[in-house]
Amino acid sequence: MVIDSLCDQAKKENIAVAGLYCDFLSQQDQTTTNIMGAILKQLAGRSSIPNYLREAFQGAKAEFGGRGLRLAEMIGLLKIAIASLPQVFICIDALDECLPKCLPELLQALRNIARESPNTRIFLTGRPHVGEVVQRYFAKTVVIPISPKTDDILNYVEMRLDMDDEPEAMTNNLRADIAGAILEKISDM
Amino acid sequence: MRWLSPLEPNNRHQGVRDERFDGIGDWLLETSEFREWRDSVGEADNAVLLCSGNPGVGKTYLR
Repeated sequence: MVIDSLCDQAKKENIAVAGLYCDFLSQQDQTTTNIMGAILKQLAGRSSIPNYLREAFQGAKAEFGGRGLRLAEMIGLLKIAIASLPQVFICIDALDECLPKCLPELLQALRNIARESPNTRIFLTGRPHVGEVVQRYFAKTVVIPISPKTDDILNYVEMRLDMDDEPEAMTNNLRADIAGAILEKISDM
Repeated sequence: MRWLSPLEPNNRHQGVRDERFDGIGDWLLETSEFREWRDSVGEADNAVLLCSGNPGVGKTYLR
């Protein structure tokens, strides 16, 4: 939702948005270097491939039968990409799902980028315990606690029920019961 | 471009985009915290906004 909203804004203004969802299931692939690479891909791949990337790729291809980039090199390229853009938003979802040993490295890389490229804004989500870790790297992090909003839940239930494949089985009383039961559940969350 | 990273976050994003409902979670975009963060470009100290919460509260989206 945040990525879509920033992208909609980006159409009007000259800004770039890149994002990534961390996932337990692909932890092995989600190294800091690959995460930075995925962000670079989104920022740099907006039009034709920029020269600095072409050169880095040609250079790497000549060595050892085609080497990948190391983290420091990737961060360097990412900084070049960001410097060519007026404003950049980086969104990373579910920090708690990346490997615990990766998280400090990832945050350090983001801090490195934020310090050198102040036109970067970083949006993160995660379970409460990652807040502490994030604040170790970004002392002035603003934290918004997310809890289910009653209106959101009611609207969501309404929209889901409207799409039910057996609408004839639905009555207003049943609708109210379903919404009530769900609200009761989430009051414990 | 695949040389840069095997990750394809746009696939997951399209999934979330298709599944989420319009209007849900919009309250976040209206908070002063979000607005100030979005408009605070250039201040390296205030670069990060974190949304935190327990599993299932709707940090990615409600489902």
